[in-house]
Amino acid sequence: MSNLPELSPDAETPAGKYYGRSIPYLPLESYPGKLIAVEGTDGVGRSTQIQLLREWLEVKGYGVIETGWTRSPLMQPTIELAKSSNTLNKLTFVLLYATDFADRLEKEIIPALKAGFVVLTDRYIFTALARAGVRGVDRAWLRTLYGFAIAPHLVFYLKIDVDTLIGRVLESRGMDFWESGMDLKTGDDIYDSFRAYQNKLLREYGSMGEEFHFRVVDARRSVVQIQDELRRQVAAFLEPTGT
Amino acid sequence: MTFSLLHATDFADRLLYKIIPPLKAGMIVLADRYAYTAFARDATRGVDRQWVRELYSFAVKPDMALYFRVPIDVSLDRLMARRVKLKFYEAGMDLGWSTNPVESFRLFQGKVLDEYDRIVDEYGLSVVDAVGSITEQQRVVRNLVAHHIETVDAAREIPSEQSA
Repeated sequence: MSNLPELSPDAETPAGKYYGRSIPYLPLESYPGKLIAVEGTDGVGRSTQIQLLREWLEVKGYGVIETGWTRSPLMQPTIELAKSSNTLNKLTFVLLYATDFADRLEKEIIPALKAGFVVLTDRYIFTALARAGVRGVDRAWLRTLYGFAIAPHLVFYLKIDVDTLIGRVLESRGMDFWESGMDLKTGDDIYDSFRAYQNKLLREYGSMGEEFHFRVVDARRSVVQIQDELRRQVAAFLEPTGT
Repeated sequence: MTFSLLHATDFADRLLYKIIPPLKAGMIVLADRYAYTAFARDATRGVDRQWVRELYSFAVKPDMALYFRVPIDVSLDRLMARRVKLKFYEAGMDLGWSTNPVESFRLFQGKVLDEYDRIVDEYGLSVVDAVGSITEQQRVVRNLVAHHIETVDAAREIPSEQSA
C-alpha cells in the first residue's frame, strides 16, 4: 500500500537494539541482560547445545532463561492445530509464527533482559525468514515485519551439510512432514522432498550470515567439540577481561 | 504487538479464503471492517503506525472504502441502548487508562477516531455521516456505490478503443 524504504537491518545495527521500527511502548534503553540465539536447521543439535550451555552458565552464576520457536503459551496450541490441517497458507503461517514470537518477546524476552538474565533462544527470527523465504514470501516485507525483533548480542549458526543432516535425522526421530517441506508439494517421496527442502533452507540461512552477523559453528563435529567452541565464544563475550 | 499480529493472521486467512476467491470470480465482496480498523486500533494501542501499514501491505486495496463517522457520544448511546456491558477490548480496558468502562471507552475510542481521521486523508476513504437515520445513511451509501459501479461499467464498455 505504501512505498517505504526497505528496513532490513544494516550492518551498523547494534546488538541488543531493535532491528527496524521499534515497539514504541517498550523502549529499550540500557538493560543488563544478554540475548544469545542458537540457529540452525531441523535436527542439527540446537536443543542439546542449549541445554549444555544453560547448565554451564548457571554453574557460573548467571540467571538463564530459555525460549524457543512456537513456544508461547498463547499461540502454541493454535499453531499445532493449524499444522495438523490442510488449510494453512504460507502467509498465514508466517503471521502465526510472528504472533508467537511477538508474544514471547513482549512477555518473556524483554522482561528477562531487563532483569539481567541471559536469554538463550532456540531458533530466532532467522528460522522464520529462511522458511518463508524458501516458500517465496517477499524478503523485504519479512524483514520489515520482523523489524520489532531485537538484534541478539550473539547469533550462533550451527552449520551442517545435508548428507550429515539426513543421517542424523534418520538415526533419531525420522523425517517429519513439515521439516521435509512436504507442503511445497515437490513430490510424494519424503526423502527427496527432505533433501531438496533442507538444501534450500541451508542456502537461505547461508545467505543471511553476513546480514545478521552469524557466528558460524561447524555442526558436523561432536557434541562436546561444538559445546567447547560455544562456551569459549560466550565466555569471551560475557567476561571479556578473561578469568 | 501480539494483539496486532493475531488480528493480522486472522485477516490473512480470511483474505485468502473468503475475499480473493470471490473477487477472482467477479463477485462484489462487502467487508465489515478492513485493514483500516487495524491501522486505527493498533496505533491507538501504541504500535508503530508505519509498521502496521507495512504489515498489511499484502492486503488487497479496496475499490471503495466507506467510513461511517460518528461522534463518541452517539456511539456510546447506541451501544448502551442495546447492551448492558461494554466489551473489554472495545473499551480499551487492557490499556488501563480508566477502571470505569464508559470512561475508558471514551478515552480509547476518542483516540481511535483521531486515527481514523488521519486514515481518511491518507487512503481517501469516503466518509458517510453516521449520525443520521439508517434510511438516510443507506441512501447515501447506495448512491456512492451505484456511482462507483456505473463508472466501472462505463469503463468496461469501451475496451475496443484501447486495443493496441
